[in-house]
Amino acid sequence: MDTITEFRKFSASLDSLEPIREFLAVSAQKVGLDKSRTYKLCLAVDEIATNIINYGYLNSGIADGIIDVNVISDYEKLTVILEDTATPFNPLETKLPADDELELPLEKRAIGGLGIMIAKENVDDFKYNYENGKNKNIFCVVLSQGKMQAC
Amino acid sequence: MSFSVKSEVIDNTAIIAVEGSLDSSTAPKLHDEVQRIILQNPKDLVLNVEKLNFMASAGLRVIIFAKQKLGSAAKLFLVKPQDQVVETLRMTGLLFSVTIVDQYPE
Repeated sequence: MDTITEFRKFSASLDSLEPIREFLAVSAQKVGLDKSRTYKLCLAVDEIATNIINYGYLNSGIADGIIDVNVISDYEKLTVILEDTATPFNPLETKLPADDELELPLEKRAIGGLGIMIAKENVDDFKYNYENGKNKNIFCVVLSQGKMQAC
Repeated sequence: MSFSVKSEVIDNTAIIAVEGSLDSSTAPKLHDEVQRIILQNPKDLVLNVEKLNFMASAGLRVIIFAKQKLGSAAKLFLVKPQDQVVETLRMTGLLFSVTIVDQYPE
């Protein structure tokens, strides 16, 4: 198993979502992440990338935004960092659906917060910070069993 | 990966086959198809998702939209969803609101 450090720029467009997932899937395969956890990582990143494209850059009035995707691994964990220069937005401050709301019949549910909930729940750790004019959304997946503290 | 939706109404039941990846870029196509087919007042809606290999929250929102438009008496069937899609439905509580089947008619 190799360690990797990979980086690619994507335009902040919905057409980039599938290429971002493909880039992640190829990287995840290099470090031996199984199919199920690769899917979950792609799903988590897809949700946040969608927010950056649909809300972040749009609300900032930036038409030609860029999302930088960094993929870094050591033997214990795989980390994906999305960087964008849109208005600061901390997904962790978004109100998520409460448990009792998730049990409501669909006809009675509000639509919102699902994406961020999915992002958080599909990786072992999710962090956000804002530095040097950039939003950084950081996803971490443990690579070796029993190393949950690695993230 | 290409994305496609194909729909038909048979015996008052709307059947939509969805293939490929359902994310924010493709979900509007399914949304439009659902909106169009619901105008025919189907009793139930069947989504054949056997060849759906990815579904993000944008896809979940279409399912919520469909269910809200159909009304509480209607059933929403999902035919052969992949395990990961089922897991996302479970995590978000949507599994309670759909009926998963191996084929339709059952």
